[in-house]
Amino acid sequence: MEPSNADRLSRFRAVLTNQAVSMLLILILMWFLLSLLSPYFLTVGNLTEITLQTAVIGIIAAGETLVILSGGIDLSVGSVFACSGIAGGLIFQATGNLWFTMAVTVLTGAALGLFNGLFISWLRVPPFIATLGMLGMARGLALILSRGIPIFGLSKEYLWIGQGKIFDLVPVPTLILLAVFALVFFIARYTRFGRFTYAVGSNAEAAKLSGINLRWVILGTYALSGALCGVGAMIEAARLATVQPAGGNGYELLAIGAVVIGGTSLFGGEGNVIATLIGALIETTIRNGLNLLGVNAFWQYVVNGAVIIGAVAVDQWRRRL
Amino acid sequence: MLKTVNFELETGEVHALLGENGAGKSTLIKILAGAYTADSAKIWFRDKLISGNYGPKIAEDLGIVTIYQHFHLIPHLTVAENLSLKTFVSDPGWYVNWRTVQQRARETLARLHFAIDPGARVKDLSVAQQQMLEIAIALSKKAQVIVMDEPTAALSRPETEVLFGLIRQLKQHGIGIIYVSHKLEEVKIIADRVTILRDGNNVATLDAKTADLREIIRLMIGASPTNEPRQGALPREKSIFSINKLQNKHFRKKLDLVVYEHEILGITGLVGAGKTELSRVIFGADKKISGEIRFAGAPISLRQPRDAVKLGLGYVPEDRDSKGLCLNLAVRENIGLATLVKLKGWLFDRGAERKLVRHAVSSMRIRAQGLDQPVKYLSGGNKQKVVLGKWLAAQCKLLVLDEPTIGIDVGARQDIYRLIQEFRREPGHAVILVSSDIDEILQIADRILVLADYRVVADLDSIRTDKHQVLEYCTRRTATPAV
Repeated sequence: MEPSNADRLSRFRAVLTNQAVSMLLILILMWFLLSLLSPYFLTVGNLTEITLQTAVIGIIAAGETLVILSGGIDLSVGSVFACSGIAGGLIFQATGNLWFTMAVTVLTGAALGLFNGLFISWLRVPPFIATLGMLGMARGLALILSRGIPIFGLSKEYLWIGQGKIFDLVPVPTLILLAVFALVFFIARYTRFGRFTYAVGSNAEAAKLSGINLRWVILGTYALSGALCGVGAMIEAARLATVQPAGGNGYELLAIGAVVIGGTSLFGGEGNVIATLIGALIETTIRNGLNLLGVNAFWQYVVNGAVIIGAVAVDQWRRRL
Repeated sequence: MLKTVNFELETGEVHALLGENGAGKSTLIKILAGAYTADSAKIWFRDKLISGNYGPKIAEDLGIVTIYQHFHLIPHLTVAENLSLKTFVSDPGWYVNWRTVQQRARETLARLHFAIDPGARVKDLSVAQQQMLEIAIALSKKAQVIVMDEPTAALSRPETEVLFGLIRQLKQHGIGIIYVSHKLEEVKIIADRVTILRDGNNVATLDAKTADLREIIRLMIGASPTNEPRQGALPREKSIFSINKLQNKHFRKKLDLVVYEHEILGITGLVGAGKTELSRVIFGADKKISGEIRFAGAPISLRQPRDAVKLGLGYVPEDRDSKGLCLNLAVRENIGLATLVKLKGWLFDRGAERKLVRHAVSSMRIRAQGLDQPVKYLSGGNKQKVVLGKWLAAQCKLLVLDEPTIGIDVGARQDIYRLIQEFRREPGHAVILVSSDIDEILQIADRILVLADYRVVADLDSIRTDKHQVLEYCTRRTATPAV
């Protein structure tokens, strides 16, 4: 056996059967078709808009990817998103300090995620139930903290996070999106924590018997997922110039959708982070395309749900090949 | 997989199918079950050529029933329900007649003299009882031919005897049995003929009673196996690992154990004697209530497997698929895992990992299509080498092996024995080998501890004892199982 040759061959095969690659081709095909259907689609302005619209969901989905890779699921992202946004918004109202606000927003998200992890690893509540409970609790907290009233009066600096552009061209959220994916990709591939996340997702018992601290991995993935909800919340607040306690409704569908469209297995241990970015871009492209084609906005939910089911069906079919 | 295979089974015959992993045994029995389709095949049943597409339906109609190595029982249902699953599917009615279900179960079990409670849930049964239940289900399907894939893999000696008694009974009823096994001694006892497969061809069919074991092995692997000369107990100089007055939920009576440097300590006993439980305590996977554990001269505390790994212990669990491997991860990721656990800091060097794993793969002769192939595609022997390689790569000092050669072909088994021997020669190293295969223990271990009913009943020097004596100790203190 020639190890290096065999390595190369199996890597080549892995590329061909990779869901990320096939989804990238589908994304390009979608862009091509939409550019034929709408002259406006393939403009710099619209493509920039797509990355901008992808930013919030993409960032949340990046954290969700780690959770799903570890064999869990985080249904609470939408509520954690709202609650951390509100917590930060209140701090901003009180202090006006943007750095402090950022820290509080992200740390609130991380803390709520940490609670998810504690429920799962200490109380042994299944992830589905633990995060479903958090979905309710975090939403309630957001409404209690804000007394149900949206927060306005964000400063110009705050708004720059969502509306600013670097060199008058690249939106700030797009840059944050890329930075977050670079970071999560790095974590998944080059850190021990990342590798342990895959191992726990693949076989928790074997991972434990290899000496991996399951608790540490579970707490880490959920805390990171929560923290990234906080990052997303800052961007959305800055784009809309308001923090809404009812915001982020249904984001779990979009985030989990982006992950599974990217081909990450809901059984854990299989998938990659960059594929999630492509999955999120596909979701945004569909929404953007339907808008441009003048389709009723309510249909977007239907199409989005159908695409998630379709993507997983295709993935299952491809795995059998 | 298969090239050309001819196979013939007579009425009331036990025909053993032998071969290394990858020789084509599984493929052949799956074709017989109709699970795989042959590119071309002619199948005769009672001198009639089977026409049409041979598939699961035809196999079932003919009465060919396969009992796979991994059971197809539903763990949360009762014995009786499992026995009636087939009729649940085929009955046209809307409701279940529980009285018939109970009656059918009682009759089937009584006919076979199985002492299993029909109301017990399958998940609470021992592996041996599950095996018996599989056979009962096969018989309730009016089997003409029963294919048994490694039926004794998880059985203790007396349980194997019971199974053999059953097989002899089946023979008398004219039922043909295809018996797939790696345990050659057993095959000689129970089989009438053996057919040996190698690389997808059948190389020979022999009379089981007159065939020579070494000849069979030679036909299977294509070369004569080399046996390490047995060494016997080593001078008890330096203790590597010791347990003093251990007690936990399993081990009520205080248990002591010492392993010396360079030693291979064999631990054997019947199913339920506490072998796996003991190995789990040693590795920190089960908690102890009291007692002292020392490693390399110092007392240690093992609260979880991680503590053991960090100290330099390695554990090869009994069930490699469910406890030893991350099946959908690559060979590289599996072998590198324990090494990674021992590292400090956030990052690790992927290049160094690749180098480490490449070395392990070539020195252990792991057959894989590259380091990035998911381990789920490897054969049993290669999978086991990956589990072992994980610990060798992590440079552990004490290896705890629980049934390391179960369901593994002769070639891979020899490789694993060789690796164990190489490992123990290193300074400060020792091996604890847990096995219910007494021949294996006698061949490999220097010293043998016999467990019965969660107690050490004998501490034997392997060259001053024999199978007879070990078996005697095994059975001496066995409690009668509660029914």
